[in-house]
Parts: sequence; structure tokens; C-alpha cells
Amino acid sequence: MTLSIEINNLQKAFDGQLVLQDVSLRVARGTIYGVLGPNGAGKSTLLHLLLGFLRPDHGTIRILGRHNPTEALARIGYLPERVRYHLHYSGREYLYYLGELSGLRGRRLAARVEDEIAQVGLREAADRPLRVYSRGMLQRIGIAQALLHEPELLLIDEPTGGLDPQGQEQLLTLLRALRSRGLTCLVATHQIAEAEALCDQVGILFHGRIATEVVLDDLHDIGRSVTIHTSRLPADVQAILAEFEPNVTYAEHEVRIDANTPVLQAQVLRVLIDAGIAIVTLEGQRRPLEELYLRIVHGESIEPPGMPPPRLPAAAPKLHHTGGDTLLRELLTNAEQQATIRNARRSTENSGRGCAATRH
Amino acid sequence: MHTLRLIFRFAAFTLVEYVRSGRALVEAAATIAVYAIFFRRQALDGDHFFALAALFTLALTFYTSSTILGLGDRPQGYLILARRIGRTGYLLGLYLAIILVTAAAYGALSLLVAAFTPVAGLGVAGWLLGSLPLLLNMFLLAALLTLIAPFVLSSGWRLALLGLIALAFSNSLLGGSALATLPTTLLTTIEVLRTMASAPLLPAFSGYELAISRDYSGPAFVIPLAQLSLTLGILALAVYAFARRDLIFSSN
Repeated sequence: MTLSIEINNLQKAFDGQLVLQDVSLRVARGTIYGVLGPNGAGKSTLLHLLLGFLRPDHGTIRILGRHNPTEALARIGYLPERVRYHLHYSGREYLYYLGELSGLRGRRLAARVEDEIAQVGLREAADRPLRVYSRGMLQRIGIAQALLHEPELLLIDEPTGGLDPQGQEQLLTLLRALRSRGLTCLVATHQIAEAEALCDQVGILFHGRIATEVVLDDLHDIGRSVTIHTSRLPADVQAILAEFEPNVTYAEHEVRIDANTPVLQAQVLRVLIDAGIAIVTLEGQRRPLEELYLRIVHGESIEPPGMPPPRLPAAAPKLHHTGGDTLLRELLTNAEQQATIRNARRSTENSGRGCAATRH
Repeated sequence: MHTLRLIFRFAAFTLVEYVRSGRALVEAAATIAVYAIFFRRQALDGDHFFALAALFTLALTFYTSSTILGLGDRPQGYLILARRIGRTGYLLGLYLAIILVTAAAYGALSLLVAAFTPVAGLGVAGWLLGSLPLLLNMFLLAALLTLIAPFVLSSGWRLALLGLIALAFSNSLLGGSALATLPTTLLTTIEVLRTMASAPLLPAFSGYELAISRDYSGPAFVIPLAQLSLTLGILALAVYAFARRDLIFSSN
């Protein structure tokens, strides 16, 4: 597998304060990698290190085969967060200048500028000064300038910032189309939904560290936790639900079932229906990535006790089954095992006792 | 050649923004005002013209450098620096824009004087001979201001450099009875440092005198060469420092 980005043990401090520590990640060519983290996690610093704006205190970066990022700049497109523009130019003029500074000339430059203007839907506004553009239009110009010189690698900081929902969807579609044409993309974002919709792999950056990496396809295969809002749960039903703890929790009008427990979910629903409990709403709760992200942000353990977090091997990166994935699989396994044990136990007991109690 | 083309394109890009944003009006207004106040109503000779013009252009260089370097020290710069031009091209493009603006302002002032209050006894040749060291002094000051721009030198180095410059100019400030009380060793150290720090100022002061006298006899022709060498040296230092520091533009 060809790697577009390879980072090993990267460390960066400002005024003695560590912003990034021991960051290692690999981005395979033709994939979209999301760096997901809250504000201040070090996402923009990471991108600036990749672009050579900042110099690492420790660790190595290899980007598009180069150890010096500035040597690869001609093949990289960059869209900063909250990008500020030279507002005294029209959109078209601006792209022409930036294209020239990227080494484009003549007909190729003209063709690329017009292509990008069309691609981001700014044909009508292209000759207006940038100072009259809306935030969304400026973001589109930002995308156009990043793609102008047909880069192999795109580094984007908060890509959909300032875009309306339609613009966001168009941008995500565009990025997916670019990926299908072989473009590699590293996206820094704090939006979980954006990372889920766009990325092949996500690294969760928190307090300057990659807390875990997950492959999105694996997460998509796994279910979500479910909350069932009900009429008041009588004590006998609550007693039955108590048997399903800890994967099932309940309150007077609510039952919550952990993710990755399809068997258990069916069992709980059966108990409620058999007991004649009115189900008011049934909603899937946090998505797996969101669940994982929030656990990391809230400082909860994401690994089974005593097990060290999995590390990416230096030579041959393994992109599957890293930390978050392990967690979810563990949850799934636990839930299924418990359900199986319970079923086996019940089948050996008097089958009528439990059902009769439920019906009353 | 390719890098040179990128530098010129970036300088042009900066100049277009400078003009469109209205900042260039300050130079235009200052040039007209200085002409009206100092040159229009007097019968000038060459010495007088160059003495006044040199002071005006230095002040103008200070303002223009600060403004254009301020344009370079904005987050907008990240979009430029993420391109092929690189840090060297970026810095030299800004420098080129500065010297083009200041040289244009000096050219405009000279044209105003030539058109409305011609200087007695100053022909084109005389103007060129006086203008050369004057322009080189402007370029020298612009290079120095580029070097001490906040995004080029870190604050510690800037402080050290400004300290040296202050020491070089300190003849009138540090002397007499204030120094008499100091121990001899310390006094000698200060004198040595002052001499060393003021050495780079020699081409600038000599250039100013040469612009006024326009007398290139004897070894005077070395003065423009020294000005040029010093300018290139300072620019090289600026490029070196800029290439090696973390790039964090002002967020204003």
C-alpha cells in the first residue's frame, strides 16, 4: 500500500506547552483520513506541521515521499480553517494569481481556473470582489484554490465551515468524487457527522494525542444503542429488566439498551410488548463514532482494563481493528455472550414462571 | 528564472492589493504634501534637493515597509505559502513591492520638482548620481525593516538587533559624565560594542553624504557597492531567519 502521509512520534510544543505529543499516523493513498477532535486538540497544528509552516520538535514526517514538506507543496492543496482572503480581488482574479504562484501558466491556467469556478458553482459571482462574497461563497473559493493545481493530496481544516446544508452535501460529494479519482485527503474536523460521512478512517485527536484510530466501514457494521420511551414501567417489568443489566438500564419511562446488542434489543422489546407497555418512541442513540468520541473526550476508558492500546506498526500499517473498533467489538461480544447465557439458563428453568410473571 | 518569475508575480499581487485597498494614497498624498511644503516655494539647488529628498524617502520607506510587511504578516499568507513560491519567494516578493512603491514615490517627487520648480544646475546625470546612493539607502532601510519584521525574526533576536542599533546610535546618549563613573573595563567593552555596532551604519551615512555631494572622485565609488553589499547581506539574513522559524502569522 502506498502511503501519502507517514508521521512517526511527532511532538510539538509552544512556549513549553505540548500541543502534539507522540502522534503517529499513516494515510494511504486514495483515502480520506479524518482527524477528529475538539477545538484546541492540535488539529490545525498538525496540518501546519504537514505543510512545513511549523517545525516538529521531535518525530518525523514523510509526505508524498518527501521528508521535507516544503518540497511537496506543489503537489498539496490546502484549505485552512477560517480562511482569510485578499478581499480586493475578484474570485477569478484571485484564482489566476494563486494559480500562477502554483506554477500554472497560459492556457492551462485559464482552463483550470474556469473548471474550478464551474465546479464550485461560482460562475455568476466570479467577477465580483471577494469582499462582497458570503461566507459560504468564500469557502467555495477556498476549495477552488485548493484544487486549482490538481494536487495529489488535499489538507482541509474544517471543510464545511460556513457552508449551508446544501453546500455541505455538495462539498462532501465533491470530495468523495475526488477520492474516487485517486486524490488523498486529510480532513481536520470537530464534526462527528462530517467525519462519518466522508472519511475512510478517523483518528481521534485529544489533548495532542491520537487517542484511537477507527476504520469507518467497521463501525458502520455495528449497531447503535437504543432508547425506548415508554408509558410508566411497573415494578414487575422493572424487575425483569434488571436481569438484563448492565447492558440494559431503565427509568420510570425509559429503557436504554447498549449498542451492538441486537439479540438483547429484541428480548427487551418482547418483554415490553408482552407486558402491554406502551412504546412512545424508539430512537437510535449516539452513533458508534460519536459514542467513542464522547468517551474519549469525557476521559472514559476505551480499552478493556489491563490491555494496552493497540499501536500501528511502523513498517506495515494496519488500518483495521484499532482501539475504538476493539471497544465496540468487545461490547458486541459481551452483550451476545450474556444473552446466550441468559437464554441457556432460562431454558433449563421453568419456562412458564418468567412468562407468567411478565404477563401480570 | 522560475523562482524570479514567481517573486515578481507575488510582488505584483501585493502591489495590486496595496493600491486597491487605498493604502497607496498615503504615499501619494505624502509626496504631494512634501513637495508643496518643502520644494514648491523655494529656489532649490542640488544639495538642498537631495538632503530633503533623502530624509523624506527614508521616512516614506519606514511607513511603506511597515505597511507592506504588515500585509505579509496576516493569515492570508498561509494560502500563498502553501504554494510553489516558498518562503524565500514570499519574503523577497514583499521586499520587491516595498522598494517599487518607495522608488515610485521618489520618482514622482523628482518629476514634480523637475516639472514645476526645476533645480538650478541639476541635470539628468546629476540627478542619477545623487539618486543612486539615495535609493540604495532606501533599499537598505527596507531590508533592515524586513529583517526585524515580527514574522521573520523571533522576538528575542529582534530585541538583540534593536539593542545593537540603539548602541550604534548611542554616541550622544551614552557619554560624558554618565560614563565617567563606570569601571574602565565596562567602558572599554561598551566602546568596542558601539564601534562594532556602528560599523554597518557607515555605508548608510556615507551614502547620504554622497547623495548630497554627488562627488564620486577617489574611493567614493565604493560607497554604493558597500550599500548594496550590506543590503544583500541583510536580505540574506532575513531569508535565512524566515526559512528557519515557525510560521505563525498575526491573527489580526
